[in-house]
Amino acid sequence: MRRLNFLLGTVSGLAVVANGDHLFAQALAQSPLPGLPGAAGRCLVIVNLNGGNDGLNCVVPHGNPQYYQMRPSLAIPASDVLAIDAQLGFNSKMQSFKAMYDKGMVAVVQGVGYPNADHSHFRSSEIWQTGVPERYEHTGWLGRYLDDADLPERNLFKGVAVSQLLPEVLVANRTDIPTISNLAQYGLVADRDPMARRAFSQNSHDRSLPFSSPYLSHVMKIEDHAQRSSEELPRLISGYKTQAAYPATPIGRSLALAAQIVGSDLGTKIVYVSHGSFDTHVSQTATQNNLLAQFSDAMSAFYSDLAAHGNDRRVLTMTFSEFGRRVAENGSRGTDHGEASPLFLIGGGVKGGVYGTAPDLGNTNMGNVRYTTDFRSVYATVLERWLGRPSTAILGGSFTKIPVLS
Amino acid sequence: MALPQTRVDVGGMNRPQGRLVATTALAAFPGPLTQRSAAHLLRRAGFGGTPEEVRRFAAMPVRDAVDSLVHFPSTAALPAPSDVYSPVALLSQYGLRGLRALPPDQRKAINREIRRNEYQSILSLQLWWLDRMLATPAPLQEKMALYFHGHFTSNTIQKGISPSMTFNQNQLFRDSALGNLRELTRSVSKDPAMLLYLDNEVNVESHPNENYARELMELFTLGVDNYSEDDVRNAARAWTGWRYDRINETATYEPRFHDDGVKSFLGRTGNFNGDDVVNIIFEQPQCARFFAASLLNAFVYNDPEPALVDDVAHLLSRHHFELAPVMSAILRSNVFYSDRAYRALVKEPVDFVVGTYRTLGLSQMGASVLPELRAMGQVLFYPPNVAGWAGGANWINSDTMIARQNFLKRTMNSQTLAQSSWLRGIPMQPRVAARALVAAILQGDAAPASLGELDGYLGGVGSSALAALTPENYDQRISGAAYLAMAMPAYQLA
Repeated sequence: MRRLNFLLGTVSGLAVVANGDHLFAQALAQSPLPGLPGAAGRCLVIVNLNGGNDGLNCVVPHGNPQYYQMRPSLAIPASDVLAIDAQLGFNSKMQSFKAMYDKGMVAVVQGVGYPNADHSHFRSSEIWQTGVPERYEHTGWLGRYLDDADLPERNLFKGVAVSQLLPEVLVANRTDIPTISNLAQYGLVADRDPMARRAFSQNSHDRSLPFSSPYLSHVMKIEDHAQRSSEELPRLISGYKTQAAYPATPIGRSLALAAQIVGSDLGTKIVYVSHGSFDTHVSQTATQNNLLAQFSDAMSAFYSDLAAHGNDRRVLTMTFSEFGRRVAENGSRGTDHGEASPLFLIGGGVKGGVYGTAPDLGNTNMGNVRYTTDFRSVYATVLERWLGRPSTAILGGSFTKIPVLS
Repeated sequence: MALPQTRVDVGGMNRPQGRLVATTALAAFPGPLTQRSAAHLLRRAGFGGTPEEVRRFAAMPVRDAVDSLVHFPSTAALPAPSDVYSPVALLSQYGLRGLRALPPDQRKAINREIRRNEYQSILSLQLWWLDRMLATPAPLQEKMALYFHGHFTSNTIQKGISPSMTFNQNQLFRDSALGNLRELTRSVSKDPAMLLYLDNEVNVESHPNENYARELMELFTLGVDNYSEDDVRNAARAWTGWRYDRINETATYEPRFHDDGVKSFLGRTGNFNGDDVVNIIFEQPQCARFFAASLLNAFVYNDPEPALVDDVAHLLSRHHFELAPVMSAILRSNVFYSDRAYRALVKEPVDFVVGTYRTLGLSQMGASVLPELRAMGQVLFYPPNVAGWAGGANWINSDTMIARQNFLKRTMNSQTLAQSSWLRGIPMQPRVAARALVAAILQGDAAPASLGELDGYLGGVGSSALAALTPENYDQRISGAAYLAMAMPAYQLA
């Protein structure tokens, strides 16, 4: 598939120009082998604001009277909003995030979504994670990137999910992704027993079993990967000293581990972190405010930690959520499933500011914000201008890039 | 219309290879059962069994074996849970107004006490349920309750859901284990924990809340793409009026909150209420297909062929959604005993843990299994979200694989051996012992080289650190070898 793109790039003048972006970025993004000095490859941390983050109470259209009309009990008073300008501002609990915005480290992309929005958490999350709205697809868009990225075969940590489940976004055809929820528990007790260890590794290699199962090769592959990765990981990351006071929250712990992984020469290109649940059908304000405060404080600590190690310019963070929420509040001081919402790109490599078109609250789809930026435009931008790979094959089409990265 | 999809299809390999023989798939398997097929039945319709139970089932005609699981004996003698906490007593002692009038410090202290009691109660309920799965003479009843817990999910200790409400929901699943699916759907819709979990409790005429109406169709009965957004809005209106009575901890219907208007729902028009919505849903051919696919995914193999799904759907319709005859037919069918269904499912963590205890013939769980299950990704009464546990390949990743292997390693020690009568009876000859362990634990499903490793380990071959198998090192060596057998790939599969 990559070969095909390359040929397209040489036969079509237009495509060569389009590909210029990624060729330049590719040169910057070359990742040295793990363990070699000077590893300076770029990586992407992707944060899933799980459950459907209400975009309108996160990036607040405080200059829009319709917002206040449609949310009599939920609207955030203009005086509390952390204003970006006369129209927009952050949720009042996002002080530390606003401080990052003021330093030019945060880009807000407004109205991100996809055609024919699905209101199911699971289907919509699947669409966001696979990057394919039209059909069922089993690989994630970042899984396809990792399959395609020419990273060294022996690297076991090309992508890492700081999670107990492998998220769909990292499901790949040819790349095994370790899931690490708790560093202290990431090791096999039996590894201390040489006989057990030998027998165990024997188990994951001998395939002549007296039965077949659709899951057998998956189980054996993961056994092998778990054994090798848990043996390597402590050695690879133990030298890292955390340089920030992370809040004692799940997202704080996840991002602390993410900083350690990206700062430890593992050759990691993608880290997945999840935060939530933002599914605020009832009494939204307390829940969402609390989650946004946790997100802001953890993100702020994350970037101080990264900066202290000189990693803040090589780590781009991108948020996403399966959908925003309905413009009008419901009867239980909450909001039901909606459509488009803003997302954030964060890091020393972004050109801070607000991108895309503000949602038109007067022109909705059954009460939901219509999308103005296709989510694949954001993905294409990240793939080509940050990770240095062509995006057409991964995304199944060509999408406009957003000039959000410096 | 799309069939329910498995959410993550790692490598597109969930369906077994080979061809379905559709014409005879659901015909009764003539038998005879073997130790392998009897163990397969016990794993799927329960949590596995000791070598003795497997031998007993293998000697039975298929019909009798399945009948004994489906028409199970009374479980009245099993102990009730000892700690089912409800904060109602404490709250009604003060009254809501009285509580608000208290000084903030005192109010906080009361809340802390409630949280602490709730948490303790849930831990004790988790252990109680696991012990029940271990001890019950009716394993299929608990397997169905576990299946429903993952299907009609409600998380505990949030949104005001107390341990006693969680227990009542659990008991509803147990009581309906092989009952009627339509009735269970109607009952669970009005179950207090469900009313609170999916916000149907605040769904009132003046402000409809769509949460329950959507999940009822998407996740519980029809699957995505089989209804419109208008159907969601109309079903929500029909379900208005169900409230939760905080003092009596019961669901009540209050007509003044119900939307009495005309609704259009799935092509029908009328002044529908919640029960009507469920009845109309169950009239859709897709509903039978949805449950057929769900049951096949849970009990036979994943991503079943549409032809097989249709056959089971017809069975469900013919039996008016009565589960006993349908489960009986599935568990007696050719497809259930086919090579394609054998070891075709991934054990869910609860199955993995309870199955290990049941196979060994142990009588009680220790509280240490709770953190082990958490590390494997399954905490009872805390499904990750309204879709329940994603299952299949999602159970197995590096993090959870480490947790599974570590659980086995920590469980297989001399103390465990002392409590397992068949394990203590394993003979002292390494070659015989290795084969006996692989037969009892894996029904022989070990690779030759792995069996060789086990031989070597038991006999002290290939390592200067190990001496030959002797009475002195027997306990340690046999429990170590049992661990090695459990660490083999087949043990992850049901």
